[in-house]
Amino acid sequence: MSLADDPSLWQRVRRVRSRIFEHGTVVLAFQALLVYLFLYVPIAVVIALSFNDSRYAVVWQGFTTEWYEALLTGETVARVNPAAAFQSLVYSIEIAIVTVLVSTVFGTMLAFALDRYEFPGKGLFIGLVYMPIIIPSIVMGISLLLFFNIIGMSLGIGTAMIAHIAFGISFVAVVVAARLQTFDRTLEEAAKDLGANELETFRYVTFPLIKPGIIAGALLAFAMSFDDFVVTFFVIGRENTLPIFFFAMVRQGISPGVNVIASLIIVATLLLVALAQWIEGPIW
Amino acid sequence: MGTEHSIDRGESTAVHRAVRAVRRNRWTGLIVNITPSAFWLIVFFLIPLGVMFYYSFGQRGAFGEVLLGAEHLGLQQYELFFVPPDASVPEAIWWTVAWIIEGLTPVELGLAAGEPTPYVQLTIKSIGYGLLATLVSLAIGYPVAYYIAHVAPARYQNLLLILVILPFWASFLVRVYAIQILLSRNSILTTALGILPFYETGQSLMNTQFAVLLGLTYIWIPFMILPVYASIEQIDFTLQEAAMDLGADRFEAFRRVIFPLSMPGVVAGSILVFIPTAGAFVIPELLGGPRSQMIGNFIANQFGAAGNWPLGAAASFVLMGIMLAAIGIYQRYGESDLA
Repeated sequence: MSLADDPSLWQRVRRVRSRIFEHGTVVLAFQALLVYLFLYVPIAVVIALSFNDSRYAVVWQGFTTEWYEALLTGETVARVNPAAAFQSLVYSIEIAIVTVLVSTVFGTMLAFALDRYEFPGKGLFIGLVYMPIIIPSIVMGISLLLFFNIIGMSLGIGTAMIAHIAFGISFVAVVVAARLQTFDRTLEEAAKDLGANELETFRYVTFPLIKPGIIAGALLAFAMSFDDFVVTFFVIGRENTLPIFFFAMVRQGISPGVNVIASLIIVATLLLVALAQWIEGPIW
Repeated sequence: MGTEHSIDRGESTAVHRAVRAVRRNRWTGLIVNITPSAFWLIVFFLIPLGVMFYYSFGQRGAFGEVLLGAEHLGLQQYELFFVPPDASVPEAIWWTVAWIIEGLTPVELGLAAGEPTPYVQLTIKSIGYGLLATLVSLAIGYPVAYYIAHVAPARYQNLLLILVILPFWASFLVRVYAIQILLSRNSILTTALGILPFYETGQSLMNTQFAVLLGLTYIWIPFMILPVYASIEQIDFTLQEAAMDLGADRFEAFRRVIFPLSMPGVVAGSILVFIPTAGAFVIPELLGGPRSQMIGNFIANQFGAAGNWPLGAAASFVLMGIMLAAIGIYQRYGESDLA
C-alpha cells in the first residue's frame, strides 16, 4: 500500500515544486521589489516626516515647511540648534578633507609598494593593511583612546584626523591595488624607452591609467571619514562631528528638527554620489 | 649656466652618481613608497592595539585606576571573563556548552549545575545576533542577487545594482534613525502590523531584540547581495540546462548545480555581514533596550560608566578573536571554492 502511494506522492510534490519554479521569475521579481521597498521606505518616511505638521507624532498631520524655515533662519527646533549642527558639519568636512588628502597620497604609494615589490614579511604586512578595515570600529576607537591618553595627546579634531587617516590609508590602498593588478606594465617600459624619466612616466602614463582607482579610493576614504561615528566618538574629546551631533540628537528621541537634518544629509549625500557617478562613471 | 656647470662639475658628477646609485637600488622605491603608510599604521594602529593588549593583563585598583605593574599582570581578566567564580576550567567549558544547547532547545534540560559568566552569555548572544542577521540577509538577499544577475533584463542590471549600493552611501546614523521612526509607536509599520491577530495596533517595537535584528539586517544586507550577485553573474547557465537534460527538475538543478557554484559569493557575503553585525555598537545602543545589548556596548561601557578598563580590553580581544576565527573559516572554505 505504502509502496504504491509513496512514488505518486513524491511525484506530485515534484510536479508542484516544478510549477513553482517555472513561475519563479514572477516570485523572484516580487521578492526583489519587497527588498527594494525595505531599503527605501524607511528613508522616504524620514523625508516625508520632515514636512509633517506635528511636533511630536510620527502620524501624518499635514504638509508644512515650517521646520525647514525655522532651522534655516537659525532658530532652535526641539533642541536641535542649527548653529551647533553647522559647526559640526564644518568639522566633519575639515576632517574628511585632510583624511582624503593624506590617505590618498600615502595609500596610493602603499598600493604601488605592495604591487611591485616582494619583501620578507610581505604577507604579514598585507594583513596589517587589511586590519583597520576588518576589526570592529569600537576596538580601533578605544585602543586609540588609550594610546592618546598614554602619550598625553589632548583629544580633538587633530586626533580624529589621525584616526581617520589610519583607516583611510587601508581603504585607498586596497582599492588602488585592485586597479594596479590590471595595469599593463609594458606601457611604462615603452614610455621609458621613448626617453621619459620616472616622474614623467608616472605623470603621463601611470597616473592617467590608475586615476579611476585613485578617485574611487579617495571617494571611499571621504565617505568613510565623513560617516564614521564609532572611532570618532572615542577620540574626538569634546568636539562634535556631524554624526556625533546627530547621535546625541537621536538619543533624545524623534523630533521634527532631527527629521530635517536627516533629510538634508540624505539629499546632500545622494546628490554628491549622483554627481560623482555622472563625472566618473560607476564609483565602486 | 654653462660655465657654472663646468666649475661644479666634479662635485655634481659625484652627486649625480650618488643619485643614480640610489635610483638604481631596487629597495629605494619600496622604502620611499612604503615608509609613510607603514609608519602611520604601526604608530597609530598597531601600537595602540598592543597597548590595549597590555592593558587586558592589568588589574583595576580600588579607585578605578589601572594597575599595570609587574606584580599585577596576569590572566585574571580573561579568567573573570570566561570562568564563573566557583568553577574550574573544564566545568566552565561544560557549563557554556550546556547553556548554548539549552538556549537552542525549548525544553528545560537541566544539563549543567551552573551557568557561564554573564560576559560569556553576552558574547554568545552577540554571535547569535551576528549569525541571525547573516542568515536573514542571505535568505532575503540571495533571491534578489539571483534576480539581478540572471532574471532581470540586462539593461536594468546596472540600475538595480546602483539601487542596492546607494543606501550604503547615505549616512549610517540617518538610516538607523529611519528604522527607529519605523518601529516607534503609531508609525506606518506598527500601524500596518495591526492586521496581525496577536499584535496590538500601534504598539512600539523599539528596544526589542527584533528591533536590533531588523536594524542590523537593514544596514548590512547590501554587503550580502553584492558578492552573491558577483558569483551568480559568472555562472555558466548552460550547466543548468545540462542538469535538466540529465533528468533534474528545476529545484534539483538549482540545489545541486547553481547554488554550489554561487558558494564563494555566499561565503564572502556571510563574512562581510557577520563581522560588523557581531561587533555592532551603535545599532543596539539606539534600537535595543537593556535586554538587547551586545558585546560592543559592554566594551564601551567598561571604558565609560563601569570604568573597568582591563576587563574592557580583555573583552575587546575576545571579540577580535571571534572575528579572526570567522576570517579563518572564510580562508579555509571561501577561497578553496574560488579555485
